[in-house]
Amino acid sequence: MNGTDIHDLSDDADYAAASKQGSSSMTRNDSSKRSSSTDPEDAEVVYLKDNVTIHPTQYAAERISGRLKLIKQGSSLFMTWIPYKVQSSNARPSAGDKNLYTIKALPFSDIQSIRRHTPTIGWQYVIVVSSGLAFPPLYFYSGGVREFLATIKQHVLIVRSSEDANLFLVNNFQDPLQRTLSSLELPGSLASRIPSSSGSTSDNNLNNKHTPEDGHLSSTQRNNKQRQKSHDPARDISINVLEKFSLVTKFARETTSQLFRDNLVDGHGPNEKRRTNWASKDHQSQDMASNDVEVVPKRVPVPSDPIEFDKITLVWGQPRQHPLGLQEWSTFLDYEGRIVDPNALKKRIFYGGVEHNLRKEVWPFLLGYYSYDSTDAEREYAWSVKKSEYETIKNQWQSISPEQAKRFTKFRERKGLIEKDVVRTDRSLSFYDGDDNPNVRLMHDILLTYSFYNFDLGYCQGMSDLLSPILFIMKDESEAFWCFVSLLERLGPNFNRDQSGMHSQLFALSKLVELLDSPLHNYFKQNDCLNYFFCFRWLLIQFKREFEYEKTLRLWEVLWTHYPSEHLHLYVCIAILKRHRAKIMGEQMDFDTLLKFINELSGQIDLDPILRDAEALCVCAGENGAASIPPGTPPSLPIEDSSIYHNQDDEVL
Amino acid sequence: MPSRRRTLLKVIILGDSGVGKTSLMNQYVNKKFSNQYKATIGADFLTKEVEFEDRLFTLQIWDTAGQERFQSLGVAFYRGADCCVLVYDVNVQKSFDNLNNWREEFLIQASPSDPENFPFIVLGNKVDVDGGNSRVVSEKKARAWCAAKGDIPYFETSAKEGINVEEAFQVIAKNALKNGEEEEIYLPDTIDVGSTSQQRASGCDC
Ligand SMILES: Nc1nc2c(ncn2[C@@H]2O[C@H](COP(=O)(O)OP(=O)(O)OP(=O)(O)O)[C@@H](O)[C@H]2O)c(=O)[nH]1
Ligand SMILES: [Mg+2]
Repeated sequence: MNGTDIHDLSDDADYAAASKQGSSSMTRNDSSKRSSSTDPEDAEVVYLKDNVTIHPTQYAAERISGRLKLIKQGSSLFMTWIPYKVQSSNARPSAGDKNLYTIKALPFSDIQSIRRHTPTIGWQYVIVVSSGLAFPPLYFYSGGVREFLATIKQHVLIVRSSEDANLFLVNNFQDPLQRTLSSLELPGSLASRIPSSSGSTSDNNLNNKHTPEDGHLSSTQRNNKQRQKSHDPARDISINVLEKFSLVTKFARETTSQLFRDNLVDGHGPNEKRRTNWASKDHQSQDMASNDVEVVPKRVPVPSDPIEFDKITLVWGQPRQHPLGLQEWSTFLDYEGRIVDPNALKKRIFYGGVEHNLRKEVWPFLLGYYSYDSTDAEREYAWSVKKSEYETIKNQWQSISPEQAKRFTKFRERKGLIEKDVVRTDRSLSFYDGDDNPNVRLMHDILLTYSFYNFDLGYCQGMSDLLSPILFIMKDESEAFWCFVSLLERLGPNFNRDQSGMHSQLFALSKLVELLDSPLHNYFKQNDCLNYFFCFRWLLIQFKREFEYEKTLRLWEVLWTHYPSEHLHLYVCIAILKRHRAKIMGEQMDFDTLLKFINELSGQIDLDPILRDAEALCVCAGENGAASIPPGTPPSLPIEDSSIYHNQDDEVL
Repeated sequence: MPSRRRTLLKVIILGDSGVGKTSLMNQYVNKKFSNQYKATIGADFLTKEVEFEDRLFTLQIWDTAGQERFQSLGVAFYRGADCCVLVYDVNVQKSFDNLNNWREEFLIQASPSDPENFPFIVLGNKVDVDGGNSRVVSEKKARAWCAAKGDIPYFETSAKEGINVEEAFQVIAKNALKNGEEEEIYLPDTIDVGSTSQQRASGCDC
C-alpha cells in the first residue's frame, strides 16, 4: 500500500487515512454480506496495515499476504488478519491454505505475548502467542511494527519483558515469575477483565462482521458458540478456556475440511481406493491440489470406522530394515572419507538405523557437526581445534574461585541445578550408575560448559536427557559437547524462556491431528485437550523417556536423517495417539486421565510399527502437512541465522 | 464399597526444582524413597484412596516441574485444585525465598473462588541432610512466614527418611476436603464407577 522503507515509522497519516478506509469498508461488508444487529459505530478500526504476510513454507510463491487490523469494540481490542483474495488463477496457495491462517477477531484478552523479530536481512515480523499457541510469524512488508505495538499499548496493558527487549507481554501481572512467561491462558486475568458472557458476545459480533472474505460463518461454528454459552457457569473459568480453545480450533477447523477436500478422496470408499489415491498423490506434481478440487467429490472424509482408518496407515509404512553396518557404511565413503551421496545415506538410515558400534562415527554427520563433504583429514584436524576450543570455554567456569562464586548467584544456581539433574539422569544404566561415576561428572562438565557457550539459553531441565545418549555414544568429552551443541542448534528453542519452540510444535501437532484424524481432533476439542500438553514431554526431549535406551538411540538417528520430513517427530506423536485412539475415545478420557495414560505409555511403545505409521502419516499429509507446521518450528533450524540466542552469545563471552 | 460416596480431591505440589516434590509424593503414596527419580518434565499425578469419617476420598496429587521456565504450563494443571502444597529445601535459602512467588503464581493461575481462604500447606523438606547441620532456613523463620500468610500449617519433613510425611498429608487431605466440600460430586452407584476408580487407584502404584 505505501511502499515505504521498513524502518520508516512516520506513517501516521497513512494510518489515519487507512483506518477511515478500514471502517468504511467494514461497514460496506456489513451491509452487503450480512445483516447484523450490531451498531457499526460500535467497532472502530484503530490500526490497519496492508501487505502483512505469512510464509507458510520457504518458497516465495507460497507466501500469503493480507491485511492486519486492530479493532476496538467497547473496552476490548481485537486483532484480525485476513488474506487477500487470490489475484491470479495459478497462484500457489490454495483457498485452504489461506483460510488456514486467517485470524478472525482474536481478542487481546487471549493474547499472552507478542515477540518482535528484526532480521538483519528481510522484513520485521512478529509472533503472536495466544491461548498457549503461537500464530505463524506475520511479516510486515510495508513496515509498521512499532506503530502496531504502540497502538496496542494505547488500548491494553502491554509490558516489555525485563529479560528480552523484543518480547511484549500482554495480560502481565508484574510478578517476577509471570514475567518470564509469555504463554498460556491466564484465567485470572480473563475472569477479572471480561464478565464471562459479554466477552463472548462481543467476540461473536465481531465474527459476524468480519467474515467478509468467505462470507459465511459455518454452522458448526455457531453451534459451538451456542453450546458454550448454554453451559454458562458464571464463575467457572473453564468457559473462558473453552472459548479460547475454540478460537484456535476455528482457525484450524475451516482449513481442515478444505484440506481434506483438496487432498483426499471419498472417505467412505473402500480402503483400496483411498490407498491408491494417496499413493498417487505422493508421486504427482505440485499443481495436483488445484486439479483435485475439480475432480474430487467434495466430501469430508471422516472415516466411518476408525479402525479401518488405522489399518490403512498400517499397510503403508515400509518394512524396517536391518541397521547400517560397517561394511555397507564404507560403500558410502570415497577414498578420502567424504560421503558421496548424503541423501542415499540418510534414506538408508531412516529405514534401518545404524549398528551400535558405528554410531560414534555416523552420528556427528547426522547431527550436522561434521559436514558430509569433509574428508577424514579435515575431520581429524577439526577434532583437535574443537577440542581446544572446548577447553577454553570450559576454563571459563573452572577458573571461577569459590570466593568469586559467592558473589555470582547465577553461576551457583545454574551449577546447582545441573548437579541436581545429572544425578537424576539415567543412573540405572551401567554407564552412569554408582557413586562418583566419572561419566556423571562428564555430563555435569559438558552441561555447565554449554551454559557458558550459550549463556542466554543457559541450562534447562531436559537438557541432561538430551546429552546422556550423546555422551554414551561419543564417549569423548569434547566430541560429545560439540555434538550436543549441534543438536541444540535445532532443539534449543524447546528450552526458550517464552517456550516458543514448544508452542509452535504443540500448535503444529494440533493442526496435523486435525488434518489426519479429525474425529480424534474433535474429541480432544470437546474434552478440553487441545493444548496437547500431554505430549509435552515427548516433544521436549524427543521421546527420551518413552522408550528403552537402545530404542531411543534408534529413534533419534532415524529422526535426525530428516527423511522424509524434518518434523517426523510430530508424525510419531500422531502415530502413537492413533494407536490408542480407540481406547482414548472409547473410555471417554478427560484431560487428567489422558495425561496419566500417556505418561504411563512410557516403556510400552513398540518403536518399529510406530515409525512405519509415522512415515505413512507423513506421506499422507504431504504438502498440506508441511504447510500446517509454522516456519522455524523445531527441529528446523531457526529462520534466520542472527536469531535470538546466537548473537546474544557474543554479548556474554 | 459401591454404596460409598466418593470424592476426588485435587492437590498440587509446588516448589523449586530439586526440593523433593516427586520424592514426597512417592513417599506418601508408595511408601518408598529412591534417589533415582528423574527430574519432572511436564506433569504427572498419583492417586491415593483416603478414608475420613467413614467416607472414601481419592486424593489426586499433582507433581509438576520446578524449573521456572516451565511455569507457563501450570495453568493447565492448577485448575480446580483443592489444596496447594508449597515445598522448600531447608538447606537452600533460595527455595524458601521463592515460596511467595509460588504462592502468588498459584493464586493467579488457579484463580480459586476464595483466594483469601484457599488452603496452602508448607513443607520444609530434607531435614535429614547432614544431621541438620547444613540447614540454612530455621524452623522459626519458616513458621513466621507461614503465620504471616494466614496461619498456613507447616511441617518439617524428610522424604528420604519418611519423617512427618504421613502427618503432613493427613492435614493436606483434611484441608483439601474442607475446601472441596462444596464441590463434592456424588457419583451414581454403578459398577462402572467402581471399576473406574479402581483403575485410578491401581494406576498410581508406579
Ligand atoms: N537427603 C534427602 N534427599 C532428598 C529428600 N527429598 C528428595 N531428595 C533428593 O533430592 C533430589 C531431588 O528430589 P526430587 O523429588 O526429584 O525433587 P523435585 O522437587 O521433584 O524436583 P523437580 O522434579 O526437578 O522439580 C533427589 O536427588 C532426591 O533423591 C530428602 O528428604 N532428603
Ligand atoms: Mg519432580
